[in-house]
This record gives sequence, structure tokens and C-alpha cells, in this order.
Amino acid sequence: MSNRYEKRFKDLKAKGEKAYIPFTILGYPNRELCLQTVKCMIDSGAAALELGIAFSDPVADGPVIQKAACETIASGFTVEDAWELVRDIRKIDNQIPIGLLVYYNMVLAPGIETFYANAAACGVDGVLIADLPPESADEIALACGKHNVAPIFIVSPLTNSERLDLILRYAKGFLYAVSRLGITGVEERYDTKLAELISEVGKRTDLPLCVGFGISTPEQAKAMLKLGAHGVITGSKIVDLVQGSLGNGGSSLDKTLGAYLTSMVKAVKEQIDQ
Amino acid sequence: MKSSGKFGAFGGIYVPEPLMPNLEELEEAFLRLSVDKEFLCEFERLLAVWAGRPTPLYHAKNLSDAWGAKIFLKREDLLHGGAHKTNNAIGQALLAKAMGKTRIIAETGAGQHGVAAAMVGALLGIRTEVYMGEVDMERQKPNVFRMKLLGATVHPVKSGGRTLKDAINEALRDWISNLHNTHYMLGTAAGPHPFPTLVKFFQKVIGEEARRQCLEQNSSLPDYVVACIGGGSNAIGIFAGFLEDKNVGLIGVEPAGKGLETNEHGAVLEKGTPGCLHGMKSMLLQDADGQVHETYSIAAGLDYPSVGPEHAFLKSEGRADYASATDKQALEAFSELSRLEGIMPALESAHALAYAKQLASGKGKGKTILVNLSGRGDKDLEQVMAYV
Repeated sequence: MSNRYEKRFKDLKAKGEKAYIPFTILGYPNRELCLQTVKCMIDSGAAALELGIAFSDPVADGPVIQKAACETIASGFTVEDAWELVRDIRKIDNQIPIGLLVYYNMVLAPGIETFYANAAACGVDGVLIADLPPESADEIALACGKHNVAPIFIVSPLTNSERLDLILRYAKGFLYAVSRLGITGVEERYDTKLAELISEVGKRTDLPLCVGFGISTPEQAKAMLKLGAHGVITGSKIVDLVQGSLGNGGSSLDKTLGAYLTSMVKAVKEQIDQ
Repeated sequence: MKSSGKFGAFGGIYVPEPLMPNLEELEEAFLRLSVDKEFLCEFERLLAVWAGRPTPLYHAKNLSDAWGAKIFLKREDLLHGGAHKTNNAIGQALLAKAMGKTRIIAETGAGQHGVAAAMVGALLGIRTEVYMGEVDMERQKPNVFRMKLLGATVHPVKSGGRTLKDAINEALRDWISNLHNTHYMLGTAAGPHPFPTLVKFFQKVIGEEARRQCLEQNSSLPDYVVACIGGGSNAIGIFAGFLEDKNVGLIGVEPAGKGLETNEHGAVLEKGTPGCLHGMKSMLLQDADGQVHETYSIAAGLDYPSVGPEHAFLKSEGRADYASATDKQALEAFSELSRLEGIMPALESAHALAYAKQLASGKGKGKTILVNLSGRGDKDLEQVMAYV
């Protein structure tokens, strides 16, 4: 069974384009402004969406996303609210791949089978569980297959070839490569090992590889694509911009976020023209 | 990884991919060095001449008379640093050094693990940085001073409930960001494999000594072994000596805070449900969505919403029982031990004593009860004075 990721990456490849994948937290800063944020992403030409469900203890996330997650939970926004929001996003665009970024406890709480059934019913195409390494992936593999939800995995510049084999045994959709070592949105340092990783992955799989963590500018995006990535993901910068627009009740959201997203999409396309 | 680190349905490895190489490196070093004569010799030497092992087993006669059972105390409060945490800190610092790490990070709740890390860091010349929740820094001030005087840096943690759970989150984030030079010295028998196993390995000296000392002093094994449970390292350490002795009852005591009927407690095994936090599957205090609850206890070292996976396993197997004691019961036990025996226990350890008292008046009447006195109470004076 193919899903929207396969189709989208195939179409991009045919056009010689790369993917820009923006991230935000479902329900941040509230339901309406989150929906507006996601509309803005779609209108700006995002190739796919990466949406986080807020968790109380997000150890892979830096201060910006932590704070947003914490505020989202405190506002009373529940996982059920998150599913409802995803359903509404799916109504706006039936073609765009939607990936969720969650922590494993959110999957275990309702039960693995129920979680993936819910995800599929809302039109989710992939789920990245930030704290589920391939060692423990057998636990979700069955439910992913049954509901045609791609298990997305992280590869890092320190992932050796043995681990890469293990990851590729389970990974579908695309590979999420962290550009450097650390948590989301903190530093802007690339590891030279990243180039080696991208080339190694390319030799072993046809899965697209998208780079995230610490990518926030068009220049950084271009640099990643030049190394051979199929796409880039930005998160903290977007949450930061959404937060910045709250002072005036979100009225500047479309303008500032739109300008930023457009610049990223443009950077991703320009890369191809070179 | 060589092992899945599972204890039945609990334990395992649930961490972001970038941490995996470090856990693999740590497991490899642990498997190699835990059977290395030279390494073990140095570990035992430091335990003896620097930390003061073996710690005494003390027959608390006054307490025994007052409570109605034969009470023995394993005096980890007399260990250098004032708590059992020093055992694990020495072991892990030696591991870190062998792995070529130049920086140690640690989380701390009551401050005892932070102090132990700072002491060992000073001894071995390894830069040490400790994450501690702001709430805990306030209520365990003396330990903050001690860490600073020992040359460690204390990072206040301002996220979440600003206690132990949040300190672990920050330490994990630090570790993900500083993989090459840093060892994360986790202070309790929790977290991703191999931590629960290696912390138990370094703490099992408590149970091994206590078992031997019981046979020497009392010519028999105790009927019950009682220890307090936060993450559960002092408990797993003393239980380790008695796991094969099926007639010895093992009882862990969780913090009931202001009462199990309130939301202000940390009784994870009694009130929790299975979940995944800090790299392990275990029992967890959480809501229906899987959001982790803030916990509460007067004892900062017990204020944690999950528990070491081996305890969850021992409970599921029926090998150990888990009970709880409230703040009030712990304070009473603190007072009784101070007045009757001239020993001030840590508020954490006072929970174990409080349950031992209940046990002595019930099914444990006239029996032999071994209590792990895991730490001393000096750090808690300000807090206890507020209640007296």
C-alpha cells in the first residue's frame, strides 16, 4: 500500500524539486491560530506537514518547543482535540502528507493499536516517535502496517552502518536526519559527518532523507540540500514566529509567518535551479 | 546493544536515536569493566578508604522496645556524603574515566546524588555539573552549598514542576547535546538500559554487606527488609542481597505525601499505570492522555512520577511488596529515631522507618525487620523545624 509520502516525493522528484516541511505543535497557541498557522504552511507551498502532539516531558526538544508544549497542555488542549484538529487540516488539503511527532508515552496511553487507528482515521500518513529507537520498533511495526501509517525514524551523524541497517529494516515514508547533535532549535552547527551520513543512506535506500534540528534560515536549507538531502524541516523557528505574533493577538501571523515560509520554499526551489 | 535491558514488561531502551551510540558505549564499558579485576579492586578500595565501607548494621534496641519488633538499621547514613548515593557515584565516575569522558552531569532531587557526584568529581578531577529543580534547591539548601563548595556547578531547572523529573529531563537534553565528552551519571536505578542494571550493580554492596552482617550479629536472616522508594536505588541495592532468600519479605515504601486519597503524593506503584518516561517502561503517574503528573512529597528524593523498572517487575512477580507512608508519618518517624536512638534520618529514609513501625505493630510483631537507613537528616533540618 502506498501512502501520500510516496506519491508526494515521487512527484517532487519528477519535477526535480525538493521538500520543505514545516513543523508546529497541534493546538499552539490555540485551536484557531494553529489552524491558521497550518493553512499558512499549505498556502506557502509546504511539501508536507510535521505536527507535534504536546507532551509534558519532551526530552528531545529545546526550550522554544518545550515552552509551547507546556502552554498547550496547560490550556486544556487534549489529545482528542489534537485528533479533531488533524481531521480539519486533512479537510483543507487531501493530498499533503501529514506526519506526527510524538513521544512514546502518548502512543502507549490509549494503546498502540488504538493510537494508530486514530491516526489513520484522521488522515495521518506517518508517525515519528521521538523516543522509540529501532531496538524497540517491533512494538509498533504491526499497527503501522495494519493502518498504513509510515513509521518515521531518526538518523544522526553518529548512526553507524550497523544501526542504519537496523533503522532501514523498519523505516518508511522518509528518514528524519538530525543535522547535528543536540536538541531541537538550539545550535546552528553542522557536523561534517552529516555529508557522510547522507551519502551512506543514499547508497542503501530509496527512502527520501529530510534534515531537521537547527535549520532555520534559507541559507542553511540550501546547504543541506547541497549535501544531497531531499528536504528540510524547520520547527523551533516557526513556533518562535507564532509566539512573536501573539502580542497583537495573532493579527500579524499571516504576514510574518507567510513571508518566512515563502522564503524557505523559495530557497528549496532555487537550489534546484542551480 | 547486547541486551534489551528488560525486566519482564518493564525497562528497555526508549531514547532519541542520537543518544543510542552513548548507551551502546556505556553498556560495552560496563559489561567489560564489571568483570575486570583491576576496575573492581579500585572501586572497592575507594568504597573502603574514601567512603568508609562497610557501613555498620545497628541493632536499634530502644526503637525495637518501643515498636515491638527487632529492628536493625543498615547505616548508609554513615557513608561518606551522608547517603548511599556515594556507592553509585564512585562506580560511575570510574566508568566515565575509563571511557575517557572529561565531564560528568547529574540530576539530583534531595541533593544527595548531586553531592556524591560533586565529591567524586573533585576526587577524580572530572568537571561536574548538576541539574536540580528550583523547588528542590530551595528545600535542600545545605546540599546546594555543599555541591558548590565541592567545586560543582549547579544548574537550576525552571521547567515543569521544578523537581527531580524536570532535572532528569534537563540532564538528558544536556547529554544529547554533549555526547562526545560527557557522561550522564544517573543517580537512581531507573532510566534507559543499561542504567537500572549498572546502578544496581554499584548499589548491591548494601544488601551483600547487610546479609552477612545479619548472619554475624543475629545468626539469621531478617524476616523483612524495608527501604524507601523514589527511583528506587537504595531499595534495589539492599534487596539485591536477599532476592534469592524467598523467606525474606522485601518491602518498598513510597511517599504518600498528603494522603493517597489526594493528588499530592508520589505513590507510583500503588496508584500508577504502565507508561514510558525517561527512557524506560515502568509504572507512571499520568493522565488518560499520557501526560505525566506532577508529584508531591515532603522528601525531595522521593518526589518522582515513575520508578525503577526492576521494582515494577518485582511487584508484578509478587517478589516484593510496596507500601507507602505519608509526610506526617515520616516526620513522626524522624522524631522517634532522633529521640530514641540519637540518629536523625533523611526524610526519605524516614518513610521506610514509618512503615517499619506499622509493620512492627501488625504482622511483623516480634519479627526481625531490617531497615535501610539510606541517608542522614542534616539536609532536612530547616524543613523539619518548620513542622516541629
